Amino acid sequence: MRLTALLATCLLAGACSGHKVQSAGRRMIVLGVDGMDPVFLENHWDSLPNLNKLRQSGSFQRLATTVPPQSPVAWSSVITGMDPGGHGIFDFVHRTPATRMPISSMAETMPPKRTLNIGSYAVPLEAGAVRTTRAGTTFWRVLSDHGIPTQVIRMPVNYPPEIGEWESLSGMGTPDMEGSSGTFNFFTDDPAEKRTTIDGGRINRVAVDGGLALLRIRGPQNSLRRDQAVTYAQLTAYVDPSAAAIRLDGSGREILLRQGEWSDWVPLEFPLIPGIQKVYGMVRVYVQHVHPYLRIYVSPVNIDPENPALPISSPASYSGALAKDLGRFYTQGIAEDTAAYRAGIFNRAEFLEQSHKILNDSLRMYRQELARFSDGLFFYYFSSVDQNAHMLWGKHDDELLEVYRAIDGAIGEAMAKAGTDTTLMVLSDHGFARFDRAVHLNAWLREQGFLTLDDPANAGDEELFTHVNWSHTQAYGLGLNGLYLNLEFREPGGIVTIPEKQVVLDEIAKRLLEFRDPATGEKVVSKVYFPETAFQGRNLQNSPDLFVGYRRGYRASWQTTLGAVPKTLIEDNTAAWIADHCMASDEVPGVLLSNRKVRAAQPQLYDIPVTILSEFGIARQEGMIGQTVF
Amino acid sequence: MDWANTPLNTVLGWYFLAFSRAPNLGLVVISILTGVGMLVVLQKVSDPVRIRLAKRRVQAHLLELRMFQDEPRVIWGAQKALLAANARYMGLMLRPALWMTVPLFLLMIRMEAVYGRSPLPVGQEAVVTMSMRTGFAADSPRLSLTSIAGIAVETPPVRAVALRQVSWRIRPQATVSGELGLNVGNTTVKKRIEAGGPQRFVPGLRTGSRWATLWHPDEPRIDAPDVDWIDIDYPGASVTMLGMHAQWLIWFLAISMLSALALKKRFGVVL
Repeated sequence: MRLTALLATCLLAGACSGHKVQSAGRRMIVLGVDGMDPVFLENHWDSLPNLNKLRQSGSFQRLATTVPPQSPVAWSSVITGMDPGGHGIFDFVHRTPATRMPISSMAETMPPKRTLNIGSYAVPLEAGAVRTTRAGTTFWRVLSDHGIPTQVIRMPVNYPPEIGEWESLSGMGTPDMEGSSGTFNFFTDDPAEKRTTIDGGRINRVAVDGGLALLRIRGPQNSLRRDQAVTYAQLTAYVDPSAAAIRLDGSGREILLRQGEWSDWVPLEFPLIPGIQKVYGMVRVYVQHVHPYLRIYVSPVNIDPENPALPISSPASYSGALAKDLGRFYTQGIAEDTAAYRAGIFNRAEFLEQSHKILNDSLRMYRQELARFSDGLFFYYFSSVDQNAHMLWGKHDDELLEVYRAIDGAIGEAMAKAGTDTTLMVLSDHGFARFDRAVHLNAWLREQGFLTLDDPANAGDEELFTHVNWSHTQAYGLGLNGLYLNLEFREPGGIVTIPEKQVVLDEIAKRLLEFRDPATGEKVVSKVYFPETAFQGRNLQNSPDLFVGYRRGYRASWQTTLGAVPKTLIEDNTAAWIADHCMASDEVPGVLLSNRKVRAAQPQLYDIPVTILSEFGIARQEGMIGQTVF
Repeated sequence: MDWANTPLNTVLGWYFLAFSRAPNLGLVVISILTGVGMLVVLQKVSDPVRIRLAKRRVQAHLLELRMFQDEPRVIWGAQKALLAANARYMGLMLRPALWMTVPLFLLMIRMEAVYGRSPLPVGQEAVVTMSMRTGFAADSPRLSLTSIAGIAVETPPVRAVALRQVSWRIRPQATVSGELGLNVGNTTVKKRIEAGGPQRFVPGLRTGSRWATLWHPDEPRIDAPDVDWIDIDYPGASVTMLGMHAQWLIWFLAISMLSALALKKRFGVVL
């Protein structure tokens, strides 16, 4: 009898948790605008009519960002409803304690364990895998489990995309075909160009012989070869003898480009086993100069959405369906080529043109999918404000405003679609600030005696801690806000003992808060955060031991992010990357706008998924720490 | 070869014109007619008695394979005999196949222009390429493209010296049927262009070679000493029937084969 009652209870519970009843007819649109800043909005309401209308008729609030205020960290909180201590993403890069070398924080690739070697080839006997390192349950899985139709397009830190009964396209974190976050190729015969490698790109010398130049484009490593040899595709450039134009031949197509023109997507094939197996990529080509010297920019090789070599959508066919309707589109996670601009390959106008192409690409997809949306949840992410703000903020605000205007237009379309019966939320993961002074955190640690070099003369820009004497080093900086101890039993040869750990950290924290810019006398660090107190979650195995919260205007130098120990403590940031947000979290809050009244006094990023679930009548899930904002 | 191409093009041109409002129906009808044509050829030049015998031998050896599964030597012998019987059957079919090759080839290269290429999509770029017989030199004749209303020319002539080719990027702005003028000095060579609108006759490469007009029969041979060929990169087309998309050749072969199989008894043909 008791067993029967138990079974009946279970069946009843199953029926009641089932799912589709609650969703019927409810609709919600959530737009993620990376880097949209509250102060910029407040200064430009007149130019942003839709955002202004949304503010007046609904709500506008600052949205507290994560510690640290970095996009992968922040969007992981939006996805899971957890703080970084729960989802386990703490920076763009983590480090492997055993080697102290940086690794991607967002995904890891696992090659097949069993292969059959045939000559120079290694045929896999089982599938390899790409795995997200983010913990927690995605809000769209919960929605889908409750039968709610869900579309999540270009969500950051969703690579590889979780596969299920929803439509999603991966966003930030999606690599190019080389497996990097984006490596462009630049081809030239200009003798003035002496460089060969630059951050985020490669400069290739070409010979223009009889008006013909071969552009050899690097693709993925050949996973079917034992030596993992790099694969290449080739484009042939025919340079007109006098006109400033070229003809590009490749993949059976012929493309004509004048100087200053961009190609559409050019599909490329990378052979793995000649005649049998190949993978597909695609590039866009920009002809910067033809005479007297050829200067051709080739974008990072994007995964072809028509034939994706790596998983980029759920279901797998979704990317192909989008490409069928819209034509090929950018699939690289962060497609705006700030690296080419920083390296001086692009000037500002060229960067803006490329960036606008990405925005237009994104808007086309947004409009189509928004038009298709009829029920459930629609989430769409825009990267353009963030990437343009990095290069324009505070110096070229008029140009940045144009990007805001385009997003304002898109928000207007969502408002029209939402009407009065659909909840609309617009949010950003962080705001922005000028990045005037670059802090060499490892140089500071060295000056303070926490880090030692094998020879003081070796201080410089060499990365990956090449000259660090680990037997006399207590702490090291890596990533944009992270500081790690050289801890015993964790780092090999670590010299900080477990009992000493907090003492050393407290001392570093105290001195960081006293750290003043030698040039201006201003404080450099406004806050420091210890993971144990900053986070509720305890998934801290990849966490830095301390997060440095820089004041506005200051940020870790590029050298710091990859473990260099330069001679100077702080220097002027003279790069094209003039603004940032990797500072103290309360310096750069994001925004939350909605067509409904937000009741939360201090909404947090991890409140967002709880709010979404709540809108569909679903309770907060285990592990989520937020509250509904309404 | 224009003397041969012209009448053929004219006849087929009338046929396709008749079905211009229902091109798929035209494809079905011509496929069925082709199937009937194949049966007529088989009726005239094949030997049904020997074909029937060869088929029976194949069937007998297949039966042998099934019946004597436990007898490896018999199976081995049956497999050899099966191969031989198959070869005999193929040999008997070779003669009619050879008879059919030429007319089918002439028909199919013309059908490609109607069903295999789409008009240029309006708004999308395309490339017109002219191949020259001689290379480019300082005193080479001036090259230019005279367009028509509805077709924008977006680039100057771009010469690929190593290939002896010159190309222009064009962009249709409206539905157009007309002729581009490719000027080599004082000589102008015409190239028909189709953009926008419904599926229709879309001529492929226009050649200056007498022999090449055999497989590029859509337009008359180019009569200009410097020009080898002219081409426009039209997109491929597919034919949708019964809710399925496939290249016209798939439909053509399937329908012609099925109609031949369906009608073979009426023609007293053994297949």
